[in-house]
Amino acid sequence: MTTPQSHIPEGGDDLLAAEYVLGVLPLPERLAVEARLRDDPAFAERVAAWSGHLSSLDADFPEVPAPDLLPQIEARLFGRADPAGQRASGRRGLGRRWFLAGGGAIAAAAAVGVFLTRPGKPQLLMAEIAAQDGALIFQARYDPGTGIATITRTRGQAPGDAHDYELWIIHPGQVPSPAGLVSAPTRRLTLPKLAAGDTLAVSLEPAGGSPNGKPTQVLGAGVLSLA
Amino acid sequence: MNDDPLAAYLNDVAGGDRAAFGALYSAASAKLFGVCLRILNNRAEAEEALQEVFTRVWINAGRFDADRARAMTWLIAIARNHCIDRVRARRDDILPDDTGDPFARMPDPAPGAEARAMAQSEARRISECFDTLEPARAEAVRGAYLEGLSYADLAKRHAIPLNTVRTWLRRGLLRLKECLES
Repeated sequence: MTTPQSHIPEGGDDLLAAEYVLGVLPLPERLAVEARLRDDPAFAERVAAWSGHLSSLDADFPEVPAPDLLPQIEARLFGRADPAGQRASGRRGLGRRWFLAGGGAIAAAAAVGVFLTRPGKPQLLMAEIAAQDGALIFQARYDPGTGIATITRTRGQAPGDAHDYELWIIHPGQVPSPAGLVSAPTRRLTLPKLAAGDTLAVSLEPAGGSPNGKPTQVLGAGVLSLA
Repeated sequence: MNDDPLAAYLNDVAGGDRAAFGALYSAASAKLFGVCLRILNNRAEAEEALQEVFTRVWINAGRFDADRARAMTWLIAIARNHCIDRVRARRDDILPDDTGDPFARMPDPAPGAEARAMAQSEARRISECFDTLEPARAEAVRGAYLEGLSYADLAKRHAIPLNTVRTWLRRGLLRLKECLES
């Protein structure tokens, strides 16, 4: 078991868990704690216990009416500037108005149409998979004709000997499914059928990939759209 | 959970229900925006953070377990984690190494079903235990949790030398722990 915080004084683990939950740790230590959380269940329990204790402070966060950012959030998740996606987005009011206006069939056709490509050569799909802070970026290109995806790391470092980057496919509303390791600067992978609106994500995993079929630590995600 | 309507939304969101996602946004965005604003102290950044938080909620909804935590507790933990990562990256001015930005990988806030049932008495208990702390230390713990203050911020605010502020706060945390376990 690794103990990255060897300079922490006696009783350190429990206090380290408290410091992590409080959020006072500098970023490098914070990341070290997060790495440890993944393979040290006893330590994870301590963190869970402190989260429970301190969550009683949650009542002190004020409620501040937020602007309606749902359209932007849905665009990130389900496809950008995609009117068909909006209609299919389950925002019932809008969907029903379209339907009642007699546009039901047209709307349905449009919703399907966005996932279809013109006859002939299928159009490439692209996604940028970026960590929140932009320190790590992957560009993904997917050819629906061949099912081959090229994943190129355009920013950030290799994962190191003890870790791998792993690619995940997330169809809207479904759990991520593993799609292969992408630790090399460029990887070509044959993937199952993907469509615009599907999400690709990259996680950091122990060497060899996720031990349990679920992403361990998702670093970033991006939605596929037509190139 | 009938006493936790947000948990029902989260379950539906886990199944890919976008209407439930919209309802969850309506019901929870004010509180989560409050969290983001309080920690980030900047409206534009808080709006960006809120988008990221809800993106993570959609992707991770399947990991929510209503037997282990209240939905709002889980949501706030995601928001706090993300905002604190942001603020640390900003203030420390250090790019995280290749691990990038970690994604809402928080452990369940309360282990065991009984913890959920005990949430009320736990809240009372922790408030009593806060009262046993020296006021400045209690204030520091609250400031860190609610405003995302770093050790450097706490040192400044409480006029404590930077090289002793960690020991100072840890003493408070130790006291809190002893009280909670007594």
